[in-house]
Amino acid sequence: MLWVTELSKSFGGLNALKDVSFEVAPSEIKAVIGPNGAGKTTLFNIIAGTLRPTSGSVAMDGTEISGKTAAAIGMAGIARTFQQPQVFTSLTVMENVMLGANRFHKCGTLSSGLGLGAARRAEKDLHEIAEKWLAFVGLDDVFQRQACELPLGQQKYVEIARAMATGSRVLLMDEPAAGLDDTETGELGELITRIRGTGMTVLLIDHHIDFVMSLADSVLVLNFGQWLAEGTPDEIRNSQAVIDAYLGSTEDA
Amino acid sequence: MKTSLSDNLAAAGPASAASSASSPFNRELRRHTLSAGAFLAVMLLVPAVFGTGYYLNTLNFVALLALPTLGLSLLSGLSGQLAISHGAFFALGAYGSAILSTNLGITPLLSTVLAQVIVVLIAAAIGSVVLRLRSHYLAIATLSFAIIVELLIEEARSLTGGMQGMLGIPPIDVGFMELTSDLEIYLLYWPITIVMLWFALNISSSGVGRVLRAVREGEPVLGSLGIHAPRYKIGIYILSSIYAGVGGSLYAHFVGFVTPATGSIMFAIEIIMVLALGGFDRLWGALVGAALMTLLNEYALGFADFKRIILGVGLIVIMLVFPRGLLPGLIDTARHWFARRAG
Repeated sequence: MLWVTELSKSFGGLNALKDVSFEVAPSEIKAVIGPNGAGKTTLFNIIAGTLRPTSGSVAMDGTEISGKTAAAIGMAGIARTFQQPQVFTSLTVMENVMLGANRFHKCGTLSSGLGLGAARRAEKDLHEIAEKWLAFVGLDDVFQRQACELPLGQQKYVEIARAMATGSRVLLMDEPAAGLDDTETGELGELITRIRGTGMTVLLIDHHIDFVMSLADSVLVLNFGQWLAEGTPDEIRNSQAVIDAYLGSTEDA
Repeated sequence: MKTSLSDNLAAAGPASAASSASSPFNRELRRHTLSAGAFLAVMLLVPAVFGTGYYLNTLNFVALLALPTLGLSLLSGLSGQLAISHGAFFALGAYGSAILSTNLGITPLLSTVLAQVIVVLIAAAIGSVVLRLRSHYLAIATLSFAIIVELLIEEARSLTGGMQGMLGIPPIDVGFMELTSDLEIYLLYWPITIVMLWFALNISSSGVGRVLRAVREGEPVLGSLGIHAPRYKIGIYILSSIYAGVGGSLYAHFVGFVTPATGSIMFAIEIIMVLALGGFDRLWGALVGAALMTLLNEYALGFADFKRIILGVGLIVIMLVFPRGLLPGLIDTARHWFARRAG
């Protein structure tokens, strides 16, 4: 589904990422972990299109996407969520999710202004998509609220519903469990498993080791910007390289 | 590559209980059609009840001033940006249609439409340069454009008549009938203004309006959803400019002459003042503002020197006291006052 090949990024003399290669299979949950400064965020930003790689490539289904703008990557079918949920606070929850589905709205200004049948149908379709994804994440009872009125945890769910409504095939999640307590993290893990169940490929980065290990099908470990290990959660737990570099060295990892 | 709409719907599973037969957009459309229709009916009844008189002339100016203001309101209410170019586009609409009909003998209704082609091309050119930038450069860029238009109108004497302006612009004719009386103009112009109000209300409730309201909060996030924000910003700027251009063309064929004052910065500021009176994000407010300003022009601000000072100071005071505009500000104040009295 997603192929990352010899990806490197340097900021001045600093190699934030060096020759990282891996592959994400369709409908799998892939987690990228590593200590602070390992290059997780840099990797994420390159795939999402907010950073350009120094060298190497990212391809989706054989199409090169690295170096494209974030909008072009979004259009290519890669959705993302943010570490701090980025909802449109002045819009309702429903409107936020409808924006996710906006690419299915093919109607222009004239048709919208005249209220033609095509525009009405397009709006109805968007509304229907948004309704379904809001039900999917369990927010169907607050859809009329302003997004800013919701607590942080629910704003994350709005963001997930919005990303799902784009109809993308890959979902990038930037530290989805950040700021959540144990119960909320457990619920989020369940939701991500259900997201994979829809056929979505999920690539997430997170510090939260227990969360990642219980959730991911495959884990990639980065250390100082380089590929350190890759495998199933069990393989990673038993990898001496990982234990030396990461798991053994920090208490709460 | 991409998922189709039906795949997307299928992937989410069954719909929630909240699923509704008619979408909110449908309800909004119905509401706008009812309110605009009722308003039109009232406006058409006015001459039937009160007869003809000079007041119709005043009301015609209200309908004309409302058009550029509606355009600006659409722009500022949705994208949160102000343009100073609506006076200039009003002038382009006025001079464009005047030149086409007077010099080339094109029938005024057609020249009005052709003038808008010029407006669209220029607005698209300005928009596609300025609106790719994220910050609020629109006000500054459009101010420069307004100054250029003002100078061009004064200098291109062979085309515009320079400071003398243009006289003898033909009135709009419908079939074989020329619309010359205030009543005839009233019966054509008010329906046009109300239809354009209705169109603007619909846009604001539509998916286009939703994207534009989101643009103000975060263009990068919209990008990640595959939405190209500049396209929408340029689109609304062009649409907004057409409102000003149509107002200008209709104005020229109503009064029969145009002078450089039509395209002056002063007039651009007057439009912003009308917007400030009615509220920066209220489309209906544009009509209230246009009515207030026309009354002020008619009865209080006939003297140009005074007018500049009063408009300037008035605009500053309104922005300071009621940042959302005079009308919404007064409504809020009244509501608070009554709430306190009641409580």
